[in-house]
Formats: sequence, structure tokens, C-alpha cells
Amino acid sequence: MKADTSQFPQLDKTKFEQRGKEFEFGIPITNSVCLGNSIAVGFGDGTVRIFRSGKNSKTIKAHNGVVLSMAEDGNNILTGGDDGRFLKISIDGQINEIYNFGTRWVDHVEAINGNIACSSGKDVYYWAKTSNQPKIFSHNSTVGGLSFDTKGRRLAVSRYGGITLWKKDYTNKWTSSNLLWKGSHNKVIFSKDGKYLISSMQENQLHCWRLKDKIDFAMSGYGSKIKSFSFTDNSKYLATSGAIDAICWPFDGDGPMGRKPVCIPYVGNKKVSFVETFPNENAVFTGLSDGSVFLSEIDKEDNTIIIRSFTEHEVSAISITNDCSNLLIGDMGGNILWTSVWDN
Amino acid sequence: MEASNKQVPVTVLTGFLGAGKTTLLNRILTEQHGKKYAVIVNEFGEQGIDNDLVVDADEEVFEMNNGCICCTVRGDLIRILSGLMKRADKLDAIIVETTGLADPAPVAQTFFVDQDVADRTKLDAIVTVADAVHLSTQLTDHHEAEEQIAFADVVLLNKIDLVDESGLNIVKDRIKKINPFAKIINTKKCGVALNEILDLDAFSLKRVLDVEPDFLTSDHDHEHDDDVTSLSFVTDTPLDMEKFQDWFSKLLQTKGQDILRTKGILDFKGESDRYVFQGVHMLMDASPMGKWPEGKDRSSRLVFIGRNLENMNLKEGFENCKSA
Repeated sequence: MKADTSQFPQLDKTKFEQRGKEFEFGIPITNSVCLGNSIAVGFGDGTVRIFRSGKNSKTIKAHNGVVLSMAEDGNNILTGGDDGRFLKISIDGQINEIYNFGTRWVDHVEAINGNIACSSGKDVYYWAKTSNQPKIFSHNSTVGGLSFDTKGRRLAVSRYGGITLWKKDYTNKWTSSNLLWKGSHNKVIFSKDGKYLISSMQENQLHCWRLKDKIDFAMSGYGSKIKSFSFTDNSKYLATSGAIDAICWPFDGDGPMGRKPVCIPYVGNKKVSFVETFPNENAVFTGLSDGSVFLSEIDKEDNTIIIRSFTEHEVSAISITNDCSNLLIGDMGGNILWTSVWDN
Repeated sequence: MEASNKQVPVTVLTGFLGAGKTTLLNRILTEQHGKKYAVIVNEFGEQGIDNDLVVDADEEVFEMNNGCICCTVRGDLIRILSGLMKRADKLDAIIVETTGLADPAPVAQTFFVDQDVADRTKLDAIVTVADAVHLSTQLTDHHEAEEQIAFADVVLLNKIDLVDESGLNIVKDRIKKINPFAKIINTKKCGVALNEILDLDAFSLKRVLDVEPDFLTSDHDHEHDDDVTSLSFVTDTPLDMEKFQDWFSKLLQTKGQDILRTKGILDFKGESDRYVFQGVHMLMDASPMGKWPEGKDRSSRLVFIGRNLENMNLKEGFENCKSA
């Protein structure tokens, strides 16, 4: 039987789709990171692809399994896989295996100023820029996420029961303190000004610590787990997924306590699955569970434009190059849009 | 939790150390079935599993802040199942091996509580491997062994060649006292057809309809108050929906820790649909399940497996739900 497609309205492609390139890989996209003016994308079959303006994308067979995590490390990408390998991959595709954890997954990877870290099970392995020997930070439960602050002097490790905050003193000695909150904590990030620490929980809420006085509070009201959240560069807003609106909490002044978030609505009541802030602007790219992506100014009502129309697959990656010239969108169906941000 | 083609079935393999879980796993994996399975094992488990997709995990039981006092989930499973769902190659099934002393409840509850897990995977069945020689002692000494039997959809009674017939009957009676609804399969060296343990869809509401009234017996003798037993009730009188919901939700809230599993088919007055539910501790999956079959008698059936059931006034509570 042949489907009669004439009865469906033919949706026009967005101007970003018209001037960009679309790819259908058919394999779930798990991560993306920006490397200068290139963007690296991780796939569910272990492949990493690097997209560059004006050039063909480069395909690298990195892992024998899912690329679970990815981070930018100068001119390299770090990847962690479900094949137990922690890799450093150069922009031209050279693979360097940093560590092999065997049947244990490498769940999270991070890098700052040439120092690198990954987590496998309950342990975080940390390599200082100057050392080949890892330092091992152990925890009582599996690591849910890790994040360096912008200076690389603090490393937040989320886990069951709270966050372990590792601090490096000026003799490069690491000590830890605990920020406790009942429940299981997953992704964790610092605000860009280093004043706040945010974690997403197994329950449909975020937990936040104001680090100067350790005041903590929950940010709740979501309909599902919050898997993606991102601070604007000035730390004024935290944009979050997990609801049908993009929920943007104000972090200027005394922070979000007692204040209402900005809720940016989208047509169709689809869940927000991915958010990425626009560099140096109070604006956010919002990816929905149906594959559509929008760009919204947070401070201005009704200032939203459509970037990509729906694909029926949840958006799982959005990255913009450092010079803000190109944008990459990926989804769980393996569709990629690589497009220029500005009209030529 | 209802079945959908997109959900990968997950079989949970429980049983005491030495009962034969590894033998069974290897049998599943080496049989020429042309299917792709992922196996989640734990580091304290038995070694020697031969599969290209073995995932090592620590059993991590997390409490949920959802106001449900006995609600615990397996954090490691949430992490691993969501990772497996990102794979390019689609899995036919996932098999979770638990440690010998594991309580199956957090595993089962994970499929009720975590929306991502429930969207992408479904709990297919809990298969418990039991050692025909040692099960009786294990049941007396370890409450975990009782729980593993109580939660089982299938009990693989292994090593039957090492006990005589009377010994076998004793151990079978013991299993039936705890859980009269589990299917018992006698094996030597875990020799069992895979279609008897995989792809059973035992947790789907449709399967609750298979609970046969003549299968139900009530009130078993038992040795300690702490023993796990089962009770079941049947009535031809239609139930009052409001009364039933009121009684049953209070019951689960207050006694949910002792009630391990529940199943039921309910005939509500004034409703043309059958209502079906099944639950683990305080969590429940319930739905109308189509019209009652034409020409067949309508009746309500309710099954409990748990501890201290005789102190919960279940019979009286159920009777009070009958419509006037």
C-alpha cells in the first residue's frame, strides 16, 4: 500500500535548512562539542564526525559502541565510550587511547586548561596537564556527572546523596567537601561566574547551591527529568529542558530564590529535550522532542525564530562554533543540520 | 508499562549464588538463536560469561523522593538502560543478572518509576533460578530467597537430579506456598527452552487476565509470621469503584512494605470494561482492558503475595467493596 502524501501540507524548509546541509545517518547522535570553528559529533555506533565550514565532514571510527560522553580539550576532543575506552582525538582524526577501563563504561569526560578527567563507575580519574599518571578520586556511588569551574581549580562530582566538591590548593593538592541533598544527582554544572552549582536529579527537579554561603534550594515544577541545561555567558540565566516551555531561571542579583523563571512557550506542546545558550547573548537554542529547534531571546517576549522544522526525533545535540558562524543540530534519529547562522 | 513494539524486553535473572544463574546465562547466549542480547552483570557475580555485550554494574539501590516510603530503584539500571538505548544496533532483549542476595523489588520498581526506562524498555519477567538441594535451607535462613521466589514469574528449579522425588515435592510445595502463580520448571543444568523464560511479557496487564480463578486458593499454613504467603479473593458481585479505590490505595499506602506483589481483574458496577492492575509494593500499573467477553460470567479476582497478610483484614476490606 502506498501512502497518499498529497493530503499532508508540504511544510516549507526554514531558511537555515535551505542554506545549510542536511544529513541522515540513521544512528542516534549522543553528543556534540565545538572545537574552535569546527564541531565534533558523537554517535551511537562509536563514530565521531567533525564538521568544518566549507569542507567535507571527517569520519573517525573511535569507539566500539556508544560514544557516551565528549568534551573539548584545546585542539582535541575527549571521548568516553561504552567500550570502556577514554580517548583523545585530534581534529585531524588521530586517536590516542588515554585509558582502558575494560567492561566498565566511561560515563563522563571533562577538560579544562589541558587538565583532563573522566569517570568510570564510582571513580574519577584526573590527569594534570603535566602528568601521565592519573589521580583517582573515589566516591561511594556511581558518578552521575562531573564539571570543572572555569578556572579549573574546582571539580564538582555528582552522585547519590549530593555533590562532592574537589578543590585544588596552590600546592596542587586536592581536598574534598560534600554538598548533601537526598536523592540521586546526575548532570552538574557551575555557573560561568563560579558562584552557583546546579545538578539535575532523578526526580524531575534541579538542585542549586550558592557556593559563598552554601545555601541550597530546589527548582521544581518540571514534567520530566531535566537532562539539558546551560548558563548564558553572563550567568544571568540558566536555560533548562524538561518542560514544554524553555524554563530560564534568573541568576543575576541574589539568584532565583523567590523569583519566577522566564517561560518561553513553543507551539505544539512538545517537550523541550535540549537547550544551548547563544554565546554572549541572553538567548537560547531550544530543541524539542519532535526534532524542531528554535532560537529565542530570553529578555524579549515573542522573539523566537524557527531554525529547524520537526524530524520526529528528539533533539540531542546543538552546538555553535566559537566565531558564531555555524550551527549544528543533531537528533536521536541520526539527522544533522549543519548551517550558517547569519545571512550571507 | 504497556507493551509496545519499540520497547526492548528486559528479563531479570535472580537466584542464590550457586543455583545456576551463570549456567543459564551461558545457555541463553550460546544457543543459536540469531538474536542480539545485552547482559548486565554485577561485579560480585559469578564469572565466565561469554558474550560481546556484557556490561559490568554495581547494584545501586536508590531511594526516591516521591513520598513513597518503600520506593527504591536501581540507579545503575537507569544509567545502563538509557546508555544501551543509544546504541546503533537494536537489541532483541536485555538480561539483568542480580547478585544472590538481591531484593528484586527495586529492579521491578525501576520500570514503574523512571519514565525514560519505561518508554524505551519493558520488564518482561523475573526468572528465579533455585537450587533444588539447598532452596529449603536458604528460604529458612535468608529473607532474600523468599523475596526472589515471591517476585518470580518463572522459577527454574535446577539440579533436580540431585534430590529424590519426595525431596523435590517438599521444595515445590514450599515454592507454591510463597508464590502459587509462578510457573515452576524442573531442570538439570538449567536445560530449558528459551521461549519458556524469555519474551513472556509477564508484567503486561494483558497477562493478568491469564490468572485463572481455579488456580486461586487461599490461606496456606505457614511457619513464621515473617513468612511470605499469598492470599486471593474472588467474587461475582460487582464492586463499587469508589469504595475499592479508597480501600486499596489506603492499603498500599499503609501496608505497601509488606505487600510484595498484587494482581487483579475487577468488575465494577456500571462499567462495561474489565479493569486490570498489577503492582509491586506501593506502585501500580492499572488500566481498563476492553469489554468483558460476551456470554461469560463477570467476576472480580484479586491476588496478594506478601508478609503478614493475615493481619491486614484483606477479606473484610474486599467484602466491603462489593456494591450494594
